Amino acid sequence: MDKFSFFRFVALLQREVLEHRNLFIGAPLVLALLMLVSAIWVATQIDAAELAEGLQFISVLFNGLSPFDMAPFFMLAAVPFLLMLYVCSLIYLLSALYQDRKDMSVFFWQSMPVSNMQTILSKLVTIILVAPIFYVLVIFATYLFAMICITIMGISFDVDLVGIGWMFLAAVASLVLLYLSAVVSGLWLLPLMGWLLLFSAFAKKTPLLWAAGMFILLGFLEDFIFGTQYFANWVESRTANPNQYLIMEFSSIFQSVFNYETLFGILVGSILITGAVYMRRFVD
Amino acid sequence: MRDLILRNRFTLLLTTLAVYMAALVMEGAITGREARVVDFENPYFDLNLNNLEEYRQRRDEAADERDV
Repeated sequence: MDKFSFFRFVALLQREVLEHRNLFIGAPLVLALLMLVSAIWVATQIDAAELAEGLQFISVLFNGLSPFDMAPFFMLAAVPFLLMLYVCSLIYLLSALYQDRKDMSVFFWQSMPVSNMQTILSKLVTIILVAPIFYVLVIFATYLFAMICITIMGISFDVDLVGIGWMFLAAVASLVLLYLSAVVSGLWLLPLMGWLLLFSAFAKKTPLLWAAGMFILLGFLEDFIFGTQYFANWVESRTANPNQYLIMEFSSIFQSVFNYETLFGILVGSILITGAVYMRRFVD
Repeated sequence: MRDLILRNRFTLLLTTLAVYMAALVMEGAITGREARVVDFENPYFDLNLNNLEEYRQRRDEAADERDV
């Protein structure tokens, strides 16, 4: 890839972020605000002595322990953000190619020196690599604000917060795990992304109904014609257990990416993505 | 062949889904992925989609007995 192609691709990524900043920046910000307000409300409902005791306990819990070992604790706090990322990704992928055709901006983008392949790759890179960065930044700001609040409360209650630094380091380490989890789950769910993009490029109306309807229809057709349920079983095997794509330990990163299931998923997902690339030729 | 696949959006969709399903079914058959039948478990009765014919027969027999 030459320098011009690289900058052109970066420009495509910027376009995606600018056009969907509500999904990538607004949604996690609102969620973070809601969680902070909820946490503050809960703190006001607790007795001052109990709150001081709780602060002391949490602080001591993290004191001196490796941030990498304690990082999974903070992954639990980040689960709502991951769910929000998945929901926003679903909305984004379903509308990504459909909206272009609906508002006819597809004609403008196709007149630019950008191929359909580059356009669709930019959408995938946006959702797998770029969107999680914004989520991680918002969560980092939330943790930072929470740590400041805890420190202020510790000073006001005269509690010795010995492990607050360790706690913050564990929170930062969890952000690395969270980003890697988001990226690996993006690769793991690539067939789903390809499916959504394919119907986003295909449907003239209601791409969600097309995607869901065809999914159910294919499952039934396979059962009726061949008497097997490989399709349904495969989908179930990829969605039923989040441990397959959520990374809770740094040691499991390599194993999570380079295993048969993930690589086969990428292969099958690329069939659907190729279909979506060709489907983008058909513009009404 | 290429012209046939790219004739319109429906042929392209059909081809993509056919290739996708073929890859899944072949992989499932080669690796021995379990091709299960959906079982609806409930505390009152067992329903197996493979036994629908048997279920229909029993229902008809019960209806005949009632008529007699």
